[in-house]
Parts: sequence; structure tokens; C-alpha cells
Amino acid sequence: MNSAVKYRIGKSKAFQWLTTTLAFACILPLFAILFFIIKAGITKINWHFLVNVPKPVGETGGGIANALLGTFIIIVVAALIAIPIGILCGVYLSENKKSKLAYWSRMCVDILQGVPSIVVGIVAYFWLVKPLGGFSALSGSVALAIMMLPIVIRSTEETLKLLPDSLKEAAFALGMPFHRVILKVIIPCGISGILSGVMLSVARVAGETAPLLFTAFGNPYLSANVTKPMQSLPLLIFNYATSPYNDWHDLAWGASLILLVFVLVLNISTKLITKRWKVQL
Amino acid sequence: MESTIVKSVDYNAYFGDNHVVKNVNIEIPRNHVIAVMGPSGCGKTTFLRGINRMHELIPNATAKGQILLNNEDVMQMHPIFVRLKIGMVFQRPNPFPNLSIYDNVIAGYKLNGVKLPKAEKDQIVEESLTRVALWKEVKDSLMKKGTFLSGGQQQRLCIARAVAMQPEVLLFDEPTSALDPISTSTVEELFHELKKNYTLIIVTHNMQQAARVSDKTAFFYMGELVEYDETKKMFTNPKDNRTQNYITGRFS
Amino acid sequence: MTQVETEIQLLKKEVINMWDLVRSQLVKAKNSMLNFDKDLAREVVLKERRVNGAELKIDRDCENIFALLSPVAVDLRFVLAVLKINSNLERIGDIAEGIAKYVLSVETPFKKEILDATYVTKMYDEAINILEDTLAAFENEDTILARSVFKKDEFLDDINIRANKLIEDYLKEHPEDIDQALYILSVIRKLERVGDQSKNISEEIIFYLEAKVLKHKHSH
Repeated sequence: MNSAVKYRIGKSKAFQWLTTTLAFACILPLFAILFFIIKAGITKINWHFLVNVPKPVGETGGGIANALLGTFIIIVVAALIAIPIGILCGVYLSENKKSKLAYWSRMCVDILQGVPSIVVGIVAYFWLVKPLGGFSALSGSVALAIMMLPIVIRSTEETLKLLPDSLKEAAFALGMPFHRVILKVIIPCGISGILSGVMLSVARVAGETAPLLFTAFGNPYLSANVTKPMQSLPLLIFNYATSPYNDWHDLAWGASLILLVFVLVLNISTKLITKRWKVQL
Repeated sequence: MESTIVKSVDYNAYFGDNHVVKNVNIEIPRNHVIAVMGPSGCGKTTFLRGINRMHELIPNATAKGQILLNNEDVMQMHPIFVRLKIGMVFQRPNPFPNLSIYDNVIAGYKLNGVKLPKAEKDQIVEESLTRVALWKEVKDSLMKKGTFLSGGQQQRLCIARAVAMQPEVLLFDEPTSALDPISTSTVEELFHELKKNYTLIIVTHNMQQAARVSDKTAFFYMGELVEYDETKKMFTNPKDNRTQNYITGRFS
Repeated sequence: MTQVETEIQLLKKEVINMWDLVRSQLVKAKNSMLNFDKDLAREVVLKERRVNGAELKIDRDCENIFALLSPVAVDLRFVLAVLKINSNLERIGDIAEGIAKYVLSVETPFKKEILDATYVTKMYDEAINILEDTLAAFENEDTILARSVFKKDEFLDDINIRANKLIEDYLKEHPEDIDQALYILSVIRKLERVGDQSKNISEEIIFYLEAKVLKHKHSH
């Protein structure tokens, strides 16, 4: 009896030890990456790095200003496309739990989430790049927007579903028309969940390279024209890291660090904002 | 001379094919408190929600017949106009959690995009909160969020919010069933005051409450209006056996 | 059965038991008077304590039902009626005790002539009859029977009105029996009150069953 119990206690302890160890093992890769990138990139970052465009091959120096601006513009435009559509779609799904359209929409959104990013890129290529006759930041934004949509839609829907019906009833009983009930009561009450969904979707697409390969394409010069090709951080890293030039490798490391920090900051601030803006029901 | 403010004529309500409220004809006099009671599933809440056109917000819900507010059929009016004249207070207190107490009271104006000068807003807020005996308790914390009040205070805030719209009729759907006994009696005291300016229709599960607060009582059973009489008469000598069996607790 | 129904049934049983007790007190008092049975009279006087105890218990039970169960409609009317019937029955019990006490203070049996001349025996029988009728009306929820009591009580009232003259006439013939005659007169007065109490009981029964108030109406 005693030895059987001891064996089971021992097994339980081993199991607990295993789960704790594996938890650490999950954190390890993140810290490894951070350490590696910081080590490689931190020396490359300075003011010049941030405000200059890359120099032509052979010249030293240069920076990633065009990629920074490009990433910013492409993401902002993508957000401007994805956020309104995504939120309103989420509103529809949370309002119509049982309709056929809602059922098929939900199904499509889930499938869309699983579409590989390169496929999205190719689709955008055929829809926008070919008909418009050239690469453009706009087509890149569209591709990113398509990838952002499922996240925004789902998190909006889940947030709004958690709101009690009594909120809507109170609003209707005061004589509010449907659009005001949604815009002035439901969305404000669910703002923290919606906002976190938006920020998470941005974090998701900020580092996507594949969709931009055939759409934004890249641009060695500083440009703010959305109808023309534009540089972005992931593209720059992709192109420069595999190039034979050391100067360009340096730029790639610096850009990687910037991108990583950006995504980290986005994730952390999402958590903080969600907590702070959460409406106490 | 009592005048009738709300009158239903052959009102029927359905959930899909389910005939939930059957041919209700009732006349409600102005500035009275009417209690509506009956066992679970008797249609009393559905009927109440029909009066301010909230019934049709539920998918597959339909209604037939007339409901006259001052001789105008609310079934023919746009629901928004109906709800501006007929306010509603719900079972669970539901102040808007993202708004302050002040903003909650004038929510009906603010969220509807009606711009009012600050002086007028202040006056509406003070008057409405005074009408529900809440002004003294919250006048120094009007900017705090509504959800930090106690249950009874939240419910009175919801009544203030409804009253701020200057309706003619106030509908109450089991307004105290989520409240503790002291908050319940505070809200019940309000009914006596409120009826001076409004007509109140209260659905309640609590028979003693119906007996305490109402002038007339309507008893619903299986979708029908079985008996409708002065509360005093109904509780000492009801005419219908079903009413008697219900109020003496022979069935609930 | 719900709690209210159970309590109402129990209360009804208690009242019926008290009714039986009071009825038997009246009957024993009558027999003790007719048979000059002082032992029986003593029994009645002793048992009066039980009648009082029953009244107190029924009062308490009614109070509890009001406080705890908040009866309404027919239940409310029933308990209100029981409260009043309770004190009516207690007074009838007092009357029986009073008559028994007369028997204990008299030295010789009541003469048959007085009893016949004043119709007191018949009056007594009718009074007991009326009490039994109200009991049946209560037990069986019979308002027709309850209403019939009003007519029957008229007989008792009639004898009461004529009593003075009857006694006067008798005393003219038998002045030596004045002692007994006065007692008999008192008994007649008491029996008339039994009729009145029974009428009140009937009014309460009709109130509880029909929600009609017949109190203070002179013609039923």
C-alpha cells in the first residue's frame, strides 16, 4: 500500500515538474530571438538609420526611412479599410445569431483566417496590380486588410455577444433608432474588446511579407504615393538579408529589431488598453 | 371623471405560431397604478411589451389589434414615437455602464442627438432625480459612473432616465424582483408619488406588491385577461374562480 | 394541499369542536334544570374553563394565520368570520354556565307548571336547534340553512316579548313561586340572547361564503 502511494505521489510530482519545465521551454524561444536580434541590431540603430533611405550598392551608411514610412502608410490604409468593414460585420453577426447569412458568413470568415498569406498576395495581384497596370501600396493595403478582417470581425462579434441584452433594451425603450443603439450604446460599451481586436490584427499583419511581395513590391526611394510601389519593413528585411552586401545585411538587422519592438509594444499596449478601457458592466 | 389613457382593443400577440396573448380588451385610466399579475407564462409581460412596441424586437414576434394611447393607435405609429411617450423600466437595473449618472439621466436626449443647452440639461437631471428621491443622495457625485450605485439606487436611476423623457405612461416589468426588501419598499413608495404625473402599469409576480401599490389589478391566465377590477375588490372578493385560486395560492 | 389550505382546514376543525362543546354545555344545562341534577350543573360550570381555553386558542391561531400567511379573498373572509363566530360561541358558553349556576342556587326543583306556562322548555329546545343549524350550515357551507335561522329566531323573540305577561299571569295564581319565576324569567332572557348570538353567527357564515354583509340590516 505504502509503495503504491509513494509511486503515485512521485508520478504526480514528476508531472508537475514537467509542465513547469515545458512552460519555461515556451518562453525560451522568445527570449532567444529577442536576445539575438537585439545583439545583432542594436548597434545599427541611430538617427541616420532612421531618417535616411538606403544608399545604392557599394556606398556605406543609409537607413530605412522609406521602409518605416511605407510600413506606416500601408498599415494605416489597410486599417482604414478593414476596421469599418470588420466592425460592422461583427455587429451584424452578433445581432443575427440565427440567420442563414450569418451562418455562412461566420463559416467564410473562419476559412478566410486560414488562407495562406501568399495566396492573399497573389489574389491581390490579380485583382488590383494587373488591372491597374502596376504595383502599388494600395494593393498591398488591400491584401493586408483581407488578412485583418477575420480577426476584427471575430473579436467584435465575441465582445458584443458578451454584452447583456438589457443594454439594448434600455436603449430601444428610450426611443433610439437601431443605428444609434449600435453606434452610441453597444459599440462604446464594447470598445475595449473591439479595440484589442483591432490592435491584434495590426500586430498580426505588421510583419507579413508574402502579401506585399507582388503588391507593394518595394521601393528604394522615400514615397508617400499609394498608387505607386512602396517599401515596407518586412520587404526590406526579405530583400536585404538575402543580398550579398554586408551593408544591406546591417540594414536588415536593424529593421528586424525595429519590427520586433513594434510588434511587442503593440501586444503589450493592447493588454494595458483593454484593461483600462474596459467598461464595468 | 376618470379618463382613459391607454386602451387595448382585441389585442393579440404571437411568437411565430404560438398565440401568447389572446384578445385582450382593457381600459386604463389616467394617473392610476395598474398591476398586472398572473402565473409564469400567462402573457402578462408580452402584453406589457406590446404597449410600447418592444414586443416586435424579438425575432418572429407579431401582434394584431389596437392599442390606443389617447385615442391614437400606437400600432400604426412609428415605434420610436411610441417609445418617447411610453417609457419602460426593466427587471434588472440597466443604467448605461459607460455613462455617468448625469449622462444616464439625459441619455434619452443625448444619445438621440438632441442638443440641449446646459442649463436645461441640468434642470432635467435635477428634476428627474428628485422625482425618484435620488437627488440628495447623488447630487455630489453626478459625474461618477452609474454602475457604482447600489441595486435599488440603480433602479431608481433607470426610472429617472425614463421620467426625463416626459412620457405619459410608465411601464414596469417586475421592477423590484431583483432588489432587496428595503430597496423594494423605497421603489414602491415612489409609485405613489409618480402616479400624480404619470400613469403606471406594473407587471409583478409579487401579489402582496400588487395589493400594496395598485389601484386596479388585471389578472392574466393562459394568455387571457381573466379579471380586471379595483384591487380592493379583487383581493377580498374576486369574481372568477381562477383569480381566487391564484391569489389564495391554490396554484402559482 | 398548500399551507394555507391546511391551516384553514385545521382552524375549521377547531371551531367545529368548540361548537360541539358549547352545544353539549347548553344541553346539559337544560337537563340539569329540568331534572334538578346539581351534579350535572356542577359539570357544566367546570367545563366552562375548556370553552374559554378553546376561544383563546382559536384567537391565537387566527392571529398566526394573518401574520404568516396573509390570506386574501375567501380565506381572508373565512378567518375574519371565525374570529367573530369564536366570540359568539364563547358567549353562548357563558350563558350555559349561567343557567347551570341558577340550578346550583335553587333549593327545590322547578315546578312543571311554571315551565309549561312560560313555554321555556320549548324555547330551550328551539335555541339548541338553532345552534345545531348554524353548526350544520358552517360545516356544509350551506347558506340556505344559515338564512333559515333568522326566521326561527323570531320564535325565541316572540316568547321573550310575551314572557313578562306570562310570568305576571302565573304569579297572580301562584304568588308563592316568585323565587322560581324570577329565575325562569332570567333563563328566558338568556335563551333569547342565544338566539341573537346564533343569528350573528349565521350573518358571519353568509359573509364568508357570499361576501355579503348582512349585519345591521333589519329585514333579511
